[in-house]
Amino acid sequence: MKNLIQIIEDDKSVKKLLEITFKEFDFDFISSENKKNALTMFLSHNPDLLIVDLGLPDGDGKDFIKQIREISKIPIIVLTARHDEKEIILALDAGADDYITKPFSVNELLARIRANLRRSSNTVDINNTFICDELKLDINSRDIFLNTDKLKLTPIEYELLKYFILHPNKTLTHKQILQEVWGTGYQNEMQYLRTYVNTLRKKIEKNSTRPKYIITEPSVGYRFNCN
Amino acid sequence: MKRVFIKYKEHMYILKALIILVIITGISHIFKFYLDIINIALIHIIPVVVVAIHGNIKATLFMTFLSVLCLNFLYIPPLYSFNVNNELYLWSFLIFGIVGLIITMQAKNLIRQTKQNQLRESLLHIISHDLRTPLSTIHGSINLILSNKNLNTKKQDSLLEDINYASLRMKRLITNLLDSTRLSNENFDLKLEWCDFEDIIGVTLNEFSQKQNDEKLNIKIDELSLFWGDNTLLAQLIVNLLDNAFKYSKSDTKIDLEIENLNNFIKIKIFNETEFIDKKKLKNIFDKFYRFEDTNDISGSGIGLAICKSIVKLHNGEIKAIAKDRGILIEVELPIVKRVNIE
Repeated sequence: MKNLIQIIEDDKSVKKLLEITFKEFDFDFISSENKKNALTMFLSHNPDLLIVDLGLPDGDGKDFIKQIREISKIPIIVLTARHDEKEIILALDAGADDYITKPFSVNELLARIRANLRRSSNTVDINNTFICDELKLDINSRDIFLNTDKLKLTPIEYELLKYFILHPNKTLTHKQILQEVWGTGYQNEMQYLRTYVNTLRKKIEKNSTRPKYIITEPSVGYRFNCN
Repeated sequence: MKRVFIKYKEHMYILKALIILVIITGISHIFKFYLDIINIALIHIIPVVVVAIHGNIKATLFMTFLSVLCLNFLYIPPLYSFNVNNELYLWSFLIFGIVGLIITMQAKNLIRQTKQNQLRESLLHIISHDLRTPLSTIHGSINLILSNKNLNTKKQDSLLEDINYASLRMKRLITNLLDSTRLSNENFDLKLEWCDFEDIIGVTLNEFSQKQNDEKLNIKIDELSLFWGDNTLLAQLIVNLLDNAFKYSKSDTKIDLEIENLNNFIKIKIFNETEFIDKKKLKNIFDKFYRFEDTNDISGSGIGLAICKSIVKLHNGEIKAIAKDRGILIEVELPIVKRVNIE
């Protein structure tokens, strides 16, 4: 069955580009140019993924995201103009899963859409093990393997990598990671996050300046890549 | 010697005004029985105006003082003395000063506007040239693809790669233009935080194509602890330095990027081989909008390196360019001001 994507975008040319892309790559789509129609559409069509522009004519996209989050876990990708990292962080903290900046490449957008759809369809787990490319997490034994080698991790490194593996292909803000891994009160202690990401990369990446798993989203956070 | 001459030339107008003052005083003296005191006073304001239009307050005040002194000594009773009988004359002297100051202020405004216009003009020149170059690549390649439906895939891919690279360049130029206005604002605040240079390099490399990275770049990074600085700006610094190295590097030669950890500072070194460069010009390459004349066909604005200098200065560091082994080495030193403390 085809996936249904709902677009909320008021810029006509961007909307057209999205519609043509989705038609070409075999997605169904519905679109609207403002929040009000979007909500009615969402309730009547029950889409699989949302693409939301942050600046909408009848208000802020963030409020719309919050509204949706109260009723649904649907993947939300935010579309935004460059140079407003604060807005991006606010949108992610409001419940968006991912973001993409304009001008964007169609390939990247499709990759993000597929990754987010995959994640939402594959939340069921049987043995408490999670696999991400060459990495395997066993929650029961608290072990993480790279191919067949067991990684030697400190407790914090383990918690951090576990959090990443459990939240793949999603942009995680610095604040979210610090709060979830280190706990409340650590939201602004960036030096911990930077240091542990650096040591983790040395343990799991082939080339730590060309990371394949832990990708930096400048000024925003990190995303953990899983194919 | 040359310096002294230039300095002297800059202040030529004061000398001119002095000569005018002498001539005026002479003429007034000869005709003093035909002229009213008011005429003489008005004539004596001329040297003040001549100096004032150059916009230098000190020079204006100096000239006003001299002019008033001459006027007072030679024409205001009691003659040939610096005393004044009628207090009203003191007010007239004050007006000399006020006129001079108003003109100086106006002149200053005008001079500033002219300088801004010059800057704006060179900015426009850069924008039109540097946006046009990648734009013409994009336009040309797209037209070629549109009009030749049966281009083979390999050719088409190479054209698309060109388009991709050109659009990245345009994006970078726009970032630089925005940064250049932002950084030249005096109230600009750094957003200081803990930075991981390895992470920054990773982010930076995403700005360039895979091909450029893999084929041309040698990277060597010392073991570093976190650095206290502005993450976004430091990434922008490395992007601009690498962009510059890619642009001017000789084909089939490597670019070396090295980050060294020296106790009290971090040293970033970027080396690329290049055609012969004028050593004397090297120290100018960080000036706003400077570029080597003979490399004009290579697109690039000179904004990039000027921004590098601003970023390094904001971090209290040093940046310099050195000619070395048939190439150019750019060295950045950033002082370590704070060490991370993780238990």
